[in-house]
Amino acid sequence: MNEYLAAVWAVVWKDLRIEGRTRQTVSIMVMFSLATIIMFNFGLGMAVNVNLDAGRNVSPALLWAVVLLAAILGLNRSLALDRENQVFDALLIAPVPRNALYAGKVISITLFTLLLDAALVVLFTVFFNRPFYLPVVLLVLFLGTVGYVAAGVLITSMTIQARTREVLLPVLLLPVSLPLVLPAAMATTTYISAAMLGEASWAAVQAPVLLVVAYDLLMLGVGFLLYQYVVES
Amino acid sequence: MIRLEAVVKQYGLNPVLRGVDLHVRPGEFVTLVGPNGAGKSTLLGIVATLLRPTSGVVRVGGWALPQQADRVRRHIGLVSHHALLYRDLTAAENLTFYGKLYRLDDPEARALAALRAVGLFARQRDPVGTFSRGMIQRLTIARATLHEPDVLLLDEPYTGLDQEASQLLDELLRAEAARGRTILMITHDLEHGLGLADRLAILHRGHIAREVTRAEIGPAGVYEVYAEVMAA
Repeated sequence: MNEYLAAVWAVVWKDLRIEGRTRQTVSIMVMFSLATIIMFNFGLGMAVNVNLDAGRNVSPALLWAVVLLAAILGLNRSLALDRENQVFDALLIAPVPRNALYAGKVISITLFTLLLDAALVVLFTVFFNRPFYLPVVLLVLFLGTVGYVAAGVLITSMTIQARTREVLLPVLLLPVSLPLVLPAAMATTTYISAAMLGEASWAAVQAPVLLVVAYDLLMLGVGFLLYQYVVES
Repeated sequence: MIRLEAVVKQYGLNPVLRGVDLHVRPGEFVTLVGPNGAGKSTLLGIVATLLRPTSGVVRVGGWALPQQADRVRRHIGLVSHHALLYRDLTAAENLTFYGKLYRLDDPEARALAALRAVGLFARQRDPVGTFSRGMIQRLTIARATLHEPDVLLLDEPYTGLDQEASQLLDELLRAEAARGRTILMITHDLEHGLGLADRLAILHRGHIAREVTRAEIGPAGVYEVYAEVMAA
């Protein structure tokens, strides 16, 4: 077990080192998100005959749209590092369980995406004047991020050798992640709307949150079991 | 040490290897040459546990592939014309990372010792992206031998090297051979191929068409033998 965890930590350590030096993955995701939020906010402010409050009420759904698209950029960037110089081959001939490589990759990309989430919580709270910092919202964001990255790493590893991988990733990942994103967006919207009226309660979002947890467990399980077959030729 | 019997590899309906038989004894240096598309990289990929053969027997160190790939991986090192290194990590960080993956004791110290051995100790803190092709290839050898593998697999290691870097690589490979490692190299370069090897195997049309020892033909005869096989 210790050896397994050591392999997982080696992959995480390596990804954190590279990100610490280049700061490319997180900055790409944050820049994309910032541009999207500003454009949406600007459009909302300029629109004629629009109830500004009603527009802001859809901001939780926009949050998830931004997370999904920005995380794809992060996944592509992070997996591109392993593709460069064919490093992935060196990982595959190392005497470590393949799913330790999967676990390491999921942890490191989840950490990067959680940094993005933290930035988004601040930006959405400021731009849309809604309480995105509430603990339940943060929990849903965390759980949704884990499931999305778990699916993303598996699919990215499937497409890593394809010439059209940048196109294939969103085409495959977005439909697969719908069962995660719909309850996550529903829970976020419901909870924030209720909080604005002072009626926020866990009971109202329990069912969608449990769906998100179920998706996480399913996708992590599938990833652990299938990763070795996905990366073998 | 490496034994292949009737190994077949097909991609869809396209057979790349059509029944390869090859035996590399412990401590032997064998070079595999052949034209583009002969299946050299595919063969090396199978021995390196990266590819599964469609049929046939593959054994490395007595362990069967792909069934015992986990055991084989501890005993092989791969040097490719691709660096297999992270450009944004320093030389020492790259080797330390691989040291951790191979669960070596004190990976940092092993990494520094390996860098010293290939003459890159002074560049330990420089990102690999700033290295010349020759330096990268030396670092690649340090990476591949960090865990003291019994078998060294070389995939076109001379690609992109200038004459000086090629000579340095020759010296490093001679040193590895002198340590008793079993070496299987694939290359287009007949001169380098036979210059270092004990034996030359020519892969043509998906099988080993000819095997000759250096003692049999010498450096001058290698082109003749190769031309004969290609014309057959």
